[in-house]
Amino acid sequence: MSKQPQKDKNFVPSRRSFLQGGLTAAGGAAVAAIGGGAALAAGTPDPAITELKDWNQYSGPGVDAAPYGVPSPFEAHVVRRDVPWLTADPISSINFTPLHELDGIITPNGLCFERHHSGVAEVDPAEHRLMINGLVDKPLVFTMQDLMRFPRENRVYFLECAANSGMEWRGAQLNGCQFTHGMLHNVMYTGVRLRTLLEEAGVKPAGKWILAEGADASGMGRSIPIEKALDDCLVAFKMNGEALRPEQGYPVRLCVPGWEGNMWVKWLRRIEVGDKPWQLREETSKYTDLMPDGRARRFTWAMDVKSVITNPSPQAPITHGRGHTIITGVAWSGHGKIKRVDVSIDGGRNWQHARIDGPSLSRSLHRFYYEFNWDGSPLYLQSRAIDEQGYVQPTKDALRAARGDNSIYHNNGIQTWYLKSNGEAENVEVS
Amino acid sequence: MSKFLKFTASIVLLGAAWATSANAQDADAGEKVFRKCAACHAVGEGAKNKVGPELNEIFGRVAGSLEDFKYSKAMTKAGEEGLVWDHDSLTEYLAKPRDYVKGTKMAFAGLKKDDEIANVIAYLATFSESAEQAAAEPDSAPAAAPVETASTAEPAVNAADAVIPEHGVYHLGREALPEEVAAWDIDVRPDGVGLPFGSGTVADGGVLYDENCAVCHGVFGEGEGRWPVLSGGFDTLTADRPVKTIGSYWPFASTIFDYVHRAMPFGNARSLSADQTYAITAYLLYLNDIVTEEDFELSNETFSEISLPNEENFYPDDRLEEANFATNVEPCMENCGDGPAEIVMRARVLDVTPDGDEENGAGGID
Repeated sequence: MSKQPQKDKNFVPSRRSFLQGGLTAAGGAAVAAIGGGAALAAGTPDPAITELKDWNQYSGPGVDAAPYGVPSPFEAHVVRRDVPWLTADPISSINFTPLHELDGIITPNGLCFERHHSGVAEVDPAEHRLMINGLVDKPLVFTMQDLMRFPRENRVYFLECAANSGMEWRGAQLNGCQFTHGMLHNVMYTGVRLRTLLEEAGVKPAGKWILAEGADASGMGRSIPIEKALDDCLVAFKMNGEALRPEQGYPVRLCVPGWEGNMWVKWLRRIEVGDKPWQLREETSKYTDLMPDGRARRFTWAMDVKSVITNPSPQAPITHGRGHTIITGVAWSGHGKIKRVDVSIDGGRNWQHARIDGPSLSRSLHRFYYEFNWDGSPLYLQSRAIDEQGYVQPTKDALRAARGDNSIYHNNGIQTWYLKSNGEAENVEVS
Repeated sequence: MSKFLKFTASIVLLGAAWATSANAQDADAGEKVFRKCAACHAVGEGAKNKVGPELNEIFGRVAGSLEDFKYSKAMTKAGEEGLVWDHDSLTEYLAKPRDYVKGTKMAFAGLKKDDEIANVIAYLATFSESAEQAAAEPDSAPAAAPVETASTAEPAVNAADAVIPEHGVYHLGREALPEEVAAWDIDVRPDGVGLPFGSGTVADGGVLYDENCAVCHGVFGEGEGRWPVLSGGFDTLTADRPVKTIGSYWPFASTIFDYVHRAMPFGNARSLSADQTYAITAYLLYLNDIVTEEDFELSNETFSEISLPNEENFYPDDRLEEANFATNVEPCMENCGDGPAEIVMRARVLDVTPDGDEENGAGGID
């Protein structure tokens, strides 16, 4: 089996390659990767068994061949991807997590989507400071070493960009859950409660808001109400056990659990306490939701209950034909835990409970599975999540009825994949 | 006995440890590190005093002793008290100059990494005869395999000497100095809190805008490519394709000042003065017909006169009022909807998924 050729940044192992390759297993690269070899006539011994492979015979690399380990070369297609037409320049842009290649609930650090407003700041932790100023008893400066001396906690939280699925308001547009839902990751953070730091400085009674500000060249800033700041916000310096990646805010970022990703200020260098919100760019001209009457909602912070089927999906067709089939996906809510996920294979006419497996944590991704016997007929696959507050993931039509087509953010509508008899899946909307 | 002599005595005890790290010195790497010093210091053939003294034969030199350089009083005094530059004293000094010689006029904050310090000292040693001789002595640098260690580790301090502040619960961090707060706290609010002293006119702003902003935002704020459109778009917020600009959408003029001052021009943030930022802000207001006179001067005093037309059209999040947020309503599980589901929209029709030859799709997230 040859190594996968998908070094091409624009390669999407879904439509064209899939269509050109058809269902002959030697066709599309994606098929070969999943199928693992050519179809065999009945009774023909499998050369994967009968032939001696190199790795059966020869020693491989020793320890330290890769002091920091990397994925198998056969997984080279599992990468973040961007949508070039979305933004003016990659310095201020976004890419997408390959949700269809992942399982469980944790997003590996190198696959967490990136959103920068002035590129990735390369910050020397020895020269990084976190300042708390404004309406506090004593303005303070912390070094990284200071921060790591406060009591720490470990929490798993999803981070979803408010604009996730934002390209789908006018209808099905992008073929792949990576592109429709990939402004999403789920990570275990280690850090210090923001509350602990604020108490160290002493918040004055007039302090009702905080401003969180980054050290990057965009000086990213967001206003956050003091109630949230004193509740569950985390000043994090580790993700999934290791130091934050530079693109995720090394050496320290803010976590604002359940709220839109833009507020999770990276390269966090300052917290100011004030009596009013600051109305900075990212909370006025952006991240406000335009309604059909021309008015706009502001401070739409919470990310609502949502789910998506990640497999099958346009980038991950079914290659095994009819028979026992696993549908899987992720569900999450900024309002708490996921209580239930329903799956429909007929475009929402009939629903079955999916099985949630793995940790069920507040404001974290949940992994669901729905297993059934596919007869090979075309299906309209949907998932619908319900959170512990009782909020039910709405249809896209219900959202449009309330908000029109131009609110950009907070599209948590039910996604439909059209699964065809040949196993290919397509992003569609149904009646 | 001066503190420098005490220090020298204590170093004898640390001699073995020093010898090991001395082995990791790399004069070539030190030459690169020296670039941080070269703005003020010269070394090598023909080196002359600059902002700081020249550093030829620095090893063995008494601190503050070059006759043709004007030192701080603190440095001269340190020399009188016995400070002589050698491996050890330079190592201490270069880590935290103003701690080691309180009152030195060397403004450099210090080298953070031990290996940078060792390397730059090795580099300086190549211009000092006495240091070269010391290095040639057999007992000065026993062979030992260099070990890579975490470079961010702080030099060890005597734990009992650490100063514990009185504030807070955990007594961590230190009080921020007013100059430090002023350096970072540049945010501006709609009520004018945070506006710096200064002013700029529409006419001045036009010149600055053409130089700094027009390349992306267009000569009239119309936006090049997918860069943000800054002007126009009036009465489009209910249109099929709204154009959200400063004039048509933004609620507050303070946001313009704050954003330009902190983040623009793109790729060279924090490079505009307060006066320049007032001028550019004034020009953007002019491009949006918020002000109409080219001689209008925006300042910390006139700022409160400005309001943007769309301010009143923002309102707090009321999503929970939407019908689809009704809680504890058991959703339909069987025979939902009218008849079988039919496709009403396909992504393939648009064909904008990136795979090499796509067209542009709708929407953007700039």
